[in-house]
Amino acid sequence: MGTNPVTRKCPVCNAEMPGPLAEWPALPFCSQKCKTIDLGRWLGERYRMPSGGRTESTESPSDSEE
Amino acid sequence: MSEGNTPIPVPEDMGTYSGENVQILRDADHIRRRPGVYIGDVNASGLHHLVYELVYNSVDEALAGHCKVIHVQIDIDGSVMVRDDGRGIPVDMHPTAGRPTLEVVMTTVGAGAKFDKNTYRTSAGLHGMGAKAVTALSRWTEAQVRRDGRTYQQRYEKGKAVSEVIDIGAARDTGTQVQFMPDPEIFSDVRFDFDTLENRLRELAFLNKGLSFHLKDLRVNREETYCFMGGVGEYVAYLNRAEDVIHPVIVVDRQIDHIRVEVALQYTRNDDERVRCYANNAYNPVGGTHLAGFRSSLTRTIGAYGEKMNFFKEIKPVGEDYREGVTAIVSIQHPEPQFESQNKIRLLNSDVDGAVQTAMNDVLARYLEENPAEGKRIVTKVLLAAEAREAAAKARKALKDRKSILSGGGLPGKLFDCTSRNPDESELFLVEGDSAGGSAEAGRDRRIQAVLPLRGKPLNVEKARLENLLNNNEIIALISAIGVDIGNEKEYPDVRKGLRYNRVIIMTDADVDGQHIRTLLLTFFYRQMNMLVANGHIFVARPPLYKVVQKKQARYVATREQMTVELLERGLKDTRLVVYPPGGGGDESVIEGDVLKTLSQQTARLDEALVLLERRGIALPTMLARITDKGMPAFKTIAAGIEAWWHTRAEAVAFREETQKKLGRELSAGESIPAQDAFIFQELHEVHDINAIMSTFAGFCFHPTDLVPPASVAGREAVPRLILESGDSRKPLVTLRELVSELRRLGEKGMTITRFKGLGEMDPEELWDTTLDPEHRTLMQVKLDDAAAADEMFRTLMGEKVEPRRDFINKHALLMEEIDYHGA
Repeated sequence: MGTNPVTRKCPVCNAEMPGPLAEWPALPFCSQKCKTIDLGRWLGERYRMPSGGRTESTESPSDSEE
Repeated sequence: MSEGNTPIPVPEDMGTYSGENVQILRDADHIRRRPGVYIGDVNASGLHHLVYELVYNSVDEALAGHCKVIHVQIDIDGSVMVRDDGRGIPVDMHPTAGRPTLEVVMTTVGAGAKFDKNTYRTSAGLHGMGAKAVTALSRWTEAQVRRDGRTYQQRYEKGKAVSEVIDIGAARDTGTQVQFMPDPEIFSDVRFDFDTLENRLRELAFLNKGLSFHLKDLRVNREETYCFMGGVGEYVAYLNRAEDVIHPVIVVDRQIDHIRVEVALQYTRNDDERVRCYANNAYNPVGGTHLAGFRSSLTRTIGAYGEKMNFFKEIKPVGEDYREGVTAIVSIQHPEPQFESQNKIRLLNSDVDGAVQTAMNDVLARYLEENPAEGKRIVTKVLLAAEAREAAAKARKALKDRKSILSGGGLPGKLFDCTSRNPDESELFLVEGDSAGGSAEAGRDRRIQAVLPLRGKPLNVEKARLENLLNNNEIIALISAIGVDIGNEKEYPDVRKGLRYNRVIIMTDADVDGQHIRTLLLTFFYRQMNMLVANGHIFVARPPLYKVVQKKQARYVATREQMTVELLERGLKDTRLVVYPPGGGGDESVIEGDVLKTLSQQTARLDEALVLLERRGIALPTMLARITDKGMPAFKTIAAGIEAWWHTRAEAVAFREETQKKLGRELSAGESIPAQDAFIFQELHEVHDINAIMSTFAGFCFHPTDLVPPASVAGREAVPRLILESGDSRKPLVTLRELVSELRRLGEKGMTITRFKGLGEMDPEELWDTTLDPEHRTLMQVKLDDAAAADEMFRTLMGEKVEPRRDFINKHALLMEEIDYHGA
């Protein structure tokens, strides 16, 4: 609900990214380094979202044994 | 010297500087034969070195506590003069040489007070060689000493005295002045460069805080003065003047036994390590024991702090991670510095390492403790450096895994590839859940449609933690299947290079988990394959929500809105609403046709708004009681724990002012504030909708009380005022809100409606008909803004801040419930 202007921030280091988009070749990151860190987090399975608590009925029971 | 430079204390009995201190070692002419040994080379570097040697002698006087100002002046004839306000070189007869001490100092190799630890505790110069190198390599040199109230002068040519030390008059102060003209027989070019001298003098001014350096060039009438009371701290600030720094400069200045340690450091958002090390004012480009001590202290102190603050749970930084982005000056003064090579590239004294650590550890640890915000920024910076290092390794491994998968002929994981090798016509479906993947695999057009099933859960679910994520294999499979390089997009500007499918289509269930997987995928594409999104290669499939069977004919309805519209249309057919006047007297009125349709639409909107209101925990009857001629109040305030309602924002604001005046104190917004000091302001946006719709109801003779069940009067059952008639059926409505659901119920007659909860509930044919078939399906193309919104949602859900996440989930829950709503 904030009314302050939206400032673009790097998803990894939170650095502000002012100015035109063309000045940020690693968009949406501030740098290639932060993009690499992000990829590392995907590969390291660090990005997790809470489950909606779906029951396992649509999955086969053997799923949970892997 | 009291405020700026803190000299190494020299005991009284060691402070005398007379002829006895000078020892004689070797002869002078050697310098002219082998100048490189003394000043490095005979080019510009060696030439300027002559000036520095004289300046070092003056700096040494300053370190001993006897000099505050050093002048360097380039004369019109090209000669250079260096003058200080030190004690002045002694002019009395040297006890063993039989010549004046001044002459011995200026001409005799190996002679100098620097060999005598009693006179200078630390020294920057060439161990007493400096002045002799200058005289030996100059066509002429003139030394003037101001001492004991007199001024003495002696002249030299090519290293040999050509005059006696003569008294040329009175002197008001003390000091030494040496002017020299470099010998063109030695140097290829004898012109001095102002900028070169300026840079070195500025550096020396930074390193010797409070010591003033004046540089003047009479050839071009140019002049600069440097004096920094902030010393090395100011030096670091100067080096970082164009950098994005993350905390103020940290300064260490301590005496550890016989070693003076000065360190200034500051982290930037940059990735480079920029540490300049000096021993006795000499720059050591390769570093040495002071650099080693500096690095150990960073690793140890910041490491200990990070561990204590529980920052390094998942990733352990190593030495290099602590150095990324640090700018620092490490400057030490040592009575007997030992260097590798004549040009002092590396400091060797082993005692310096420990001294630097001792000096730094305390100061740095205390800084981190006392400045938690800065401490956190520094540790976060270190952590990111460590993460980047590990991430690069993970990415390399992923790339290798991908190559081996591709070169092995087969495709990753469970990809069911298409037979076409033409990316322009091929598409890849990313399907959540194995059973849905099976249906998609069986129902697809094998020629052009590939399917990659994603599980969206941890492989190891023994903890039964309910989380959605894309596991490592899935990420690698995704990257491999899509085929584009996820490396530096600058290096691979052609987004289509390697792209194996023109369309990448996300197909997930219409529930919370499905939405999470979609958010994860969109975030991944937005971040790692941004150009694919920008160029419109990413799509979201729109499987239908409902299956409708009517007279044994099956069909699909895509959205809840479509289903609702259809049910209402059917329900309205031949249906009328009979409205009896309140209290039972008078004639009833009948609403039907388009009027009933409009009414039902308005009622549906009203019901949505009322549901929101009820979800806030506000009971409708209490709201009805607050109705005035302006409708329901939309603004709620809680001032110092007391609730009140208002129809306009202005009223609420005025009330706040009034309350504060009455209480005589200010009330603050926010949740963590104690109730007696809090002013909570809430606008119920849905109330505006309710008021607007209710005002249109006046024409129908409806009253707000029709929204709640009628009250029973005197023990008698209340008589329903609203009857819905359709054909033979007569259905009394307890409240107006039942209108829509009753119409839907009527509309449902003769139909069987199934809501697809998961894609897996559709058989392959159904999936093809509704979602896969390019002729009939609906695809939503993902725009950059859509993906950015997914990223935003992802950040909120992943974020550390609890409040926005809770808000988001609450808001989100409203949306999800809508999706879960059963049409009937």
